[in-house]
Amino acid sequence: MLPGASADERIFAHGIGGAQDLPISPGLAIAGAVAALTVSFTVLALAWRNPRYDASTSGRPAPRLLASAVDSTAFVVGLRVLGMALFLFTAWTAVLGEDLLINPFFGMFYVLLWVGVVPASLLLGPVWKALSPVRTINRGFALLTGSDPERGLFTYPARLGYWPAALGLFAFVWLELVYPQSTDLGPVRLWCAAYVAIMLVGGALFGDTFYERADPFEVYSSLVAKLSVWGRRDGVLVIRSPLANLDTVPARPGLVAVVAVLFGSTAYDSFQDSSVWLRFTQARLDQAALLDNVALLGFCVGVGVIFAVGCATTGVGPGESRWSLPDLFAHSVVPIIVGYIVAHYLSYLVEVGQQTVVFMSDPMSDGSNLFGTSDLAVNYWLSYHPTFLATAKVVAVVAGHVLAVVAAHDRAVRLLPARHQVAGQLPLLVAMVAFTVGGLYLLFAG
Amino acid sequence: MRHITTAGMLVAVLALTAACGSDEVAEEATAAETTASESETPTEEPEPEPEGTVIEMTLAGGKVTPAGARVEAAAGEPITFVIDADTAGELHVHSTPESEIAFDAGRSEHELVLDQPGVVEVELHDPPLVVVQLEVR
Repeated sequence: MLPGASADERIFAHGIGGAQDLPISPGLAIAGAVAALTVSFTVLALAWRNPRYDASTSGRPAPRLLASAVDSTAFVVGLRVLGMALFLFTAWTAVLGEDLLINPFFGMFYVLLWVGVVPASLLLGPVWKALSPVRTINRGFALLTGSDPERGLFTYPARLGYWPAALGLFAFVWLELVYPQSTDLGPVRLWCAAYVAIMLVGGALFGDTFYERADPFEVYSSLVAKLSVWGRRDGVLVIRSPLANLDTVPARPGLVAVVAVLFGSTAYDSFQDSSVWLRFTQARLDQAALLDNVALLGFCVGVGVIFAVGCATTGVGPGESRWSLPDLFAHSVVPIIVGYIVAHYLSYLVEVGQQTVVFMSDPMSDGSNLFGTSDLAVNYWLSYHPTFLATAKVVAVVAGHVLAVVAAHDRAVRLLPARHQVAGQLPLLVAMVAFTVGGLYLLFAG
Repeated sequence: MRHITTAGMLVAVLALTAACGSDEVAEEATAAETTASESETPTEEPEPEPEGTVIEMTLAGGKVTPAGARVEAAAGEPITFVIDADTAGELHVHSTPESEIAFDAGRSEHELVLDQPGVVEVELHDPPLVVVQLEVR
């Protein structure tokens, strides 16, 4: 990451960025695991027996001034212009910039977009939907041709659900974590070009519904936004508790695949930096690429299977299918994902994110200082306080677990027949504890 | 609501446990130093003993040892690479900021000081092999 670093430099870890976080201490990992276990069974034993969350009634309308500001044309168009400006800036660095690690393109793509979208959506709601350049371009085409951007030539097939988004997310994590040239400009630029092309064709064919269900970044952002306090009820901006908001995630085919890719890939990222995996793959260098591919896919499929089996292992009412349950419960994994993403990426976002803002002032790597950020120094406070960092990580993981268990419990008392409500939740609870304890183990052993 | 409060309390308890856990980190640091000095013992040779962590690296016929071992090191203290190589090469140290160690064929010693805590990979690029992961505390 030093200015002048050679372009062919192959960087491990997250593709960009230097040192990685220290492993968390065993004491902290055990404390986190015990807390997760205790909370799980406390919720199961003591929590409410009647569902509390209902999308059609939950939340109270946001203050009128705020709602009218958010819904005003000026605000909506302003966000679209901002999204388009960021997109054009990124495209400029991708097409005309140098193939150097000081090109801000890599940081804007891997850090500000991929990681930054999580805290942004958590605080502000579905940000990618509001900024999305592909939505804006689709809207522009519709304006020119006088058609309706919300409707395409065909109706989006309901059976597809979120599957295209799951595939897109997998394509992203594959590029970031497995593909050896993930920090070479050409291949990453090609990936982005393919993304934009597929999104524009999809939007023309199926209208805005395509972005809602098939754009990997929008699906990710909108899913995380369900943990924010911002929601909509009959189009009206409402303020909800994050748990009530999470309950409004639309269950569609492929939702399990989306959460499995998000959680499985992050776990794989921790795992691939571990000494065990490193020594294992280095001893078989000619097969290392194959092993990495298999491991990434294995983590994603493994998470999906464990979760689906955990959901389906319950008694169901007459005429109901147990295999419809995983998608109906998948929203409850979102807090586990967010907790683990915070743990995995906190220092990376803060430190490499700052570095990216510094690099953004010099998009063509010619020494210019466009935004006046070139001379800023990156603050490495977090890295110098590893105990604080480790504690924050474990608190995030356990907090995510608590929310997940409560969300799953409420869904269980709504969906499962009364006599299966306690026993029927157990396998899912075990799956969630496995995710959380497994995640903590990777933070400890990484 | 009571149960959410219970859950909240558990998280608070956890945070507290974690805060107390800072002593453990100190203990580990001491442990790290002991390990470091122990690993020095087998490297005893007539030449003057370097301070801090010592890593003996050999590169012969495209094979490197150690190959991806974890080595604990103290922040701000010297880390010495004793390199025995059959060809010249370069070690890339993925610290923040990154640095490089160029070495010639034969036996050579190189000192490195890392101030920022973290896990730092030290790798060769040709062949692309991680030599050690330094756990800097």
